Amino acid sequence: MAKVLMKGNEAIGEAAIRAGCLNYFAYPITPQSEVAEYLVRRMPEVGGVFLQGESEVAVGYMIFGAAGAGERVFTTSSSPGISLMSEAISYIAAAQCPAVFVNIMRGGPGLGGILPSQADYLQATKGIGHGDCRLLVMAPASVQEAVEMVMKAFPLAEKYRNPVMILGDGLIGQMMEPVEFPDDLKTEPTNKDAWATNGMDHRKGITRNLVKSLFLDPVQLNDNNLALKAKYDRMRAEEVMSESYHIDCDYQGLIVSYGTMSRVCRTAIDMLAAEGIDVGMVRPQTVFPFPEKAVAEAAMKPSCTHVLSIEMSMGQMIEDVERSVKGRVPVSWYGKCGGDIPTPEEVIDVVKQRIA
Amino acid sequence: MELELSGIVIIVGAYGSGKTEVAINLAVHMNARGTAVRLADLDLVNPYFRTREARQALRRLGIDVVLPPDRYMHADLPILTPEVSGMLRHPSGLTLLDVGGDDVGATVLAALADAMEGKTPQVLQVINPNRPHTDTVSACLMMRQAIEARARMTITGIIGNANFMEETTTRDILAGYAFSTRVAEAANIPLVFITTPAALLTRLDKKDIHCPVLALRRQLVPPWKRADTLDAGASASKG
Repeated sequence: MAKVLMKGNEAIGEAAIRAGCLNYFAYPITPQSEVAEYLVRRMPEVGGVFLQGESEVAVGYMIFGAAGAGERVFTTSSSPGISLMSEAISYIAAAQCPAVFVNIMRGGPGLGGILPSQADYLQATKGIGHGDCRLLVMAPASVQEAVEMVMKAFPLAEKYRNPVMILGDGLIGQMMEPVEFPDDLKTEPTNKDAWATNGMDHRKGITRNLVKSLFLDPVQLNDNNLALKAKYDRMRAEEVMSESYHIDCDYQGLIVSYGTMSRVCRTAIDMLAAEGIDVGMVRPQTVFPFPEKAVAEAAMKPSCTHVLSIEMSMGQMIEDVERSVKGRVPVSWYGKCGGDIPTPEEVIDVVKQRIA
Repeated sequence: MELELSGIVIIVGAYGSGKTEVAINLAVHMNARGTAVRLADLDLVNPYFRTREARQALRRLGIDVVLPPDRYMHADLPILTPEVSGMLRHPSGLTLLDVGGDDVGATVLAALADAMEGKTPQVLQVINPNRPHTDTVSACLMMRQAIEARARMTITGIIGNANFMEETTTRDILAGYAFSTRVAEAANIPLVFITTPAALLTRLDKKDIHCPVLALRRQLVPPWKRADTLDAGASASKG
């Protein structure tokens, strides 16, 4: 496909197909319903399936079922819908099945609003479900990056036999940008024999695969949790992604920001540089695992006197920023979470008050 | 070829075809030519990137923007204000309706049939061949049929809005013009005008373009970009 102008939500749907995922189960919710609108047309063209569940709870378990059968499967939702799926996400993580969840965040808590937000940061990175479960979470800042992350999400989910989440704010879903799609992934999961309950005929070996999250024996449950922990530690070692901006200078302050919020910060950084005020930025592309090392190194630059965590939430990511900086430089928060995205001018004012 | 439109003009088209940018810029263009313009935001299906975001810039130019009351502005609800049927019953100058996307968005028009009885509105379909689902002539014709069925109105003309937003090149515009011409011919209706980003207007070779060209100054931008200035100068050129 040549360059095409797409909404983030449409591009996410197309990217999943290009990643070889032909199973999409979902329940509509603003601001991500265009994924379903797009796939209801596209899935039949490629021999795929789109099924609307009767609720997000049902969708979560439809995902679990398909994943357990060894099929590439994904869903998309927005904040309240993800809360409803969180029980199933915990089950899927416990049973070590791969699946992809996309959260196009809207303002909360509760029903909140329908405009962009990043207020599900803590939920996605630390509290997605009960028990010791984690997701690998990637946060795109452009439609093109959303495409690339969705396509990467499926092999990563299979590598770790764990759900992967794409955490986008409402604007990522709604905005249009020109995109190009990488080549289709023709791969099948290589480790499918280890978990898929797709019939013994399809499999080498004679071990029965069981999809389960119930471990009544305390030793077995502890062993399962140790196996999960080993995977999360491996994610921390192997999957961290971040991007730096304007850090090849003696900047006075450092911004940590992700998603579309980071694009506002980028504009603010350019405008500040024109006034002679240098501010650097680290943009986490994975928020779990968090780029602790990149943030710490950037914060430790001798010229840097302050670190700002700028987020469309009331101070959630700042906990990871503080954990990374370890008290060596003052860290503070700025953000908004009603649906209005802070403007470059607002970011500039905050930088001038606290840094310059 | 000057772009000149009056009476009731209804802008329809696929999701993301650029209806709202076209409607806003058409309103500014006709307003600058001295026509009284009323613009109604009838996008009842999508809460992001709607005409209402440009309301202040438009009102400053003296363009009457008809919107739901402020307290319902962010509601995720299909609100059709009674003012809309009023403006259709008594149109003056240019009465412009910016309708929501696809056949779903156009459904609202069927509800306004009474208000338009005896009138002959122009219903114009915006097309951008760089968008999915409208990248072939037959796909555009299918979209036309679907919109007509739900709106219970006939589409009377085509607006060519080929673009990749700020990555648009003059080559994209010329290719889009050729595509729009083929759609208009296949539908047997006129190509009313095409658009170009204002910044490309002087670089565009217009000798082979046989319809008016509307210069677009982008208004619906993400918060890290600045909207183009909507000046009151003539924004269409000779074709």
